[in-house]
Amino acid sequence: MSLFGSTSGFGTGGTSMFGSTTTDNHNPMKDIEVTSSPDDSIGCLSFSPPTLPGNFLIAGSWANDVRCWEVQDSGQTIPKAQQMHTGPVLDVCWSDDGSKVFTASCDKTAKMWDLNSNQAIQIAQHDAPVKTIHWIKAPNYSCVMTGSWDKTLKSLPHPPPCFQFWDTRSSNPMMVLPLPERCYCADVIYPMAVVATAERGLIVYQLENQPSEFRRIESPLKHQHRCVAIFKDKQNKPTGFALGSIEGRVAIHYINPPNPAKDNFTFKCHRSNGTNTSAPQDIYAVNGIAFHPVHGTLATVGSDGRFSFWDKDARTKLKTSEQLDQPIAACCFNHNGNIFAYASSYDWSKGHEFYNPQKKNYIFLRNAAEELKPRNKK
Amino acid sequence: MPVCQFFLQGRCRFGDRCWNEHPGARGVPGTRQPPPQQSGNNRRGWNATSQRYSSVIQPSSFSKSTPWGGSRDQDKSSFHAGASTNSGFGLSQNPFASPSSDEQKDEKKLLEGIVKDMEVWESSGQWMFSVYSPVKKKPNISGFTDISPEELRLEYHNFLTSNNLQSYLNSVQQLISQWKNRINELKNLNMSTKVALLSYVKDGVNHITPTFGFGSKQAGTFGSPAFPVNNSSSDNVQNFSFKTSSGFAAAPSGSASVFGSRPAFGAGPSSNISTTAPAFGFGKPEAASAALFSFKSPEASSFGSPGFSGFPASLAASPFGPPVAPAFGSHSSAAGFGSPGSHSQTTFPKPSNDMFGGNSMSTSFPVSNATITTDNVLFTPKDQLTEGELEQFQSKKFTLGKIPLKPPPMELLSI
Repeated sequence: MSLFGSTSGFGTGGTSMFGSTTTDNHNPMKDIEVTSSPDDSIGCLSFSPPTLPGNFLIAGSWANDVRCWEVQDSGQTIPKAQQMHTGPVLDVCWSDDGSKVFTASCDKTAKMWDLNSNQAIQIAQHDAPVKTIHWIKAPNYSCVMTGSWDKTLKSLPHPPPCFQFWDTRSSNPMMVLPLPERCYCADVIYPMAVVATAERGLIVYQLENQPSEFRRIESPLKHQHRCVAIFKDKQNKPTGFALGSIEGRVAIHYINPPNPAKDNFTFKCHRSNGTNTSAPQDIYAVNGIAFHPVHGTLATVGSDGRFSFWDKDARTKLKTSEQLDQPIAACCFNHNGNIFAYASSYDWSKGHEFYNPQKKNYIFLRNAAEELKPRNKK
Repeated sequence: MPVCQFFLQGRCRFGDRCWNEHPGARGVPGTRQPPPQQSGNNRRGWNATSQRYSSVIQPSSFSKSTPWGGSRDQDKSSFHAGASTNSGFGLSQNPFASPSSDEQKDEKKLLEGIVKDMEVWESSGQWMFSVYSPVKKKPNISGFTDISPEELRLEYHNFLTSNNLQSYLNSVQQLISQWKNRINELKNLNMSTKVALLSYVKDGVNHITPTFGFGSKQAGTFGSPAFPVNNSSSDNVQNFSFKTSSGFAAAPSGSASVFGSRPAFGAGPSSNISTTAPAFGFGKPEAASAALFSFKSPEASSFGSPGFSGFPASLAASPFGPPVAPAFGSHSSAAGFGSPGSHSQTTFPKPSNDMFGGNSMSTSFPVSNATITTDNVLFTPKDQLTEGELEQFQSKKFTLGKIPLKPPPMELLSI
């Protein structure tokens, strides 16, 4: 098992290395900091599935690496392993049995990382950076779905042969689905998958038997799509999705609602000057949306450096955090909803001028069991 | 949303903040004080009032308020739904006004909505490189390109490693000024922009012709010193954006008709130039688009990295001052959006892929004879055309494989 080469070890994770200033606002919520966080912006976070005992967190970063930590119940985080790509890692996901991690990178490949052997092999090749990767487990097949800026969705058969010299040219995708535009974000909860593309494209796929396009939806948002997350109904079936844009707005959209006009709605978030309508607001992009696996409430993280919890059924906000000094680039719940992880690192929302390679990137863990309880409707 | 009865009487206390529908909201008398309590509505249980949810006004919601439905049909309603936050039916005080004047009001609402959105966009510091649509269900307005922060950042990293940061900076600058221009255009709507916008939204058709002619001119821009020339002209072209009528020096309608009959092949004036769509470098060009462009140039391997494939290609070739970015200007994006325009029913500009593909493919087309000068950006003087090209222009249809790269001479245009 390789340890993280570029950091100074486990112990320094808790405190800032540069001698913290008194006004240091990197952790205003006083959440647990993950030790040995990546050296460059974190692009994606993912917790292990319930099949794995304990909690393991995977984070992909713009430093071309993917890191794995074990998160213990005490809150202590232990770095476990790391893998490298040749380009920034944009998305990560777990297989359903928790033995493999799939990573998607700007180097146009997707890799499968076997945690037991700590080997990673390439499983997919695209013509452009791979932006999303998801594991699909269906009764009659299982595959990895990759979405890329080359405007295709590929699903690759699994398991690919292991311990073999992997000739990437011979790995044929099970299916290649064309997209109208570059894939920006996607989410999968069997049997539904949603892909949001550039130019405000939105496609829903149904995954039974084999992935096929189910419906193309007119975007309920006016600006660029940034993130999407599927939510489930009371019977634990995926029934709709939340779509976030760069304009500080999230749309809740049901696939087959009884009353679309009433059921679908959008709400503004991640804006400054909430109620003051006279002064121009600052509007921030919604970088990530995650639904609590148990309560069905959702969390959004934005470029303003805040995270918020919402109850979409009661249409209320549950909580907004204090403002961190960096944007929050990604977020994730663990499988039972007790831990909320969010990554504080620069998301390029203000261009290169505000990029400071020296700035430390953090991943914070927060106890999410209580704060995300839905609001009871009166 | 239910219609606010108080507003209809002109005495809604909540004004802008009211959660009920204010038809014909703007300019109607009513106080604008913040609500002291949120009483009497169905939103109890709100924890934090700093944020407010607003429902998307879906077309089907209009069926609820039948008293106002009178002379309206769903199409009209859906047309201006969401144009501005409070516009429901675009009604004035008189619900039974004739449809035509209401339609004008709808248009007005829509334009106002666009202006407002632009102002908000500019002042809020939100991400610039995003598409925009005034009405949630409608296709995107041309002139804006979709670049995600990750793509931009990747470009930065690529340029960093190739020690070519200046080009990146320049192109970003270019993109930004592009965006600013477009925003200003939309904010200060003059007649032609208005007309173009309205027709665009109504028909879902983007009347910007520059979807055509990528092949030829784009080839000219990439990898050849003709590029800066194109840039300067593209500044003019930018102003054209929607103003298709004013855009072309001679016979605008004529040129449009020329385009109409000859889709795309080299027959284009300035639009071609500006649409040297490196924007279309996004994504890999699809082989299928070869059918569109007879040039059959080899696969655009010049498109190195993804995302801004246009950038490395052109910039690596020669360090132009203002790089490929003009392509992101109104026209080029228009090109992308033009396709959705022409397919008003579909939500996604699928054919634009073909455009993209075609463009990028032709970038590697050797442009030995593309001598485009600033003066002759729109039309080539007859004497500069070769025999074959002249023949092509004069014939009824272009022959595949013989399509001229230069724009047609003014004389040959039939107006």
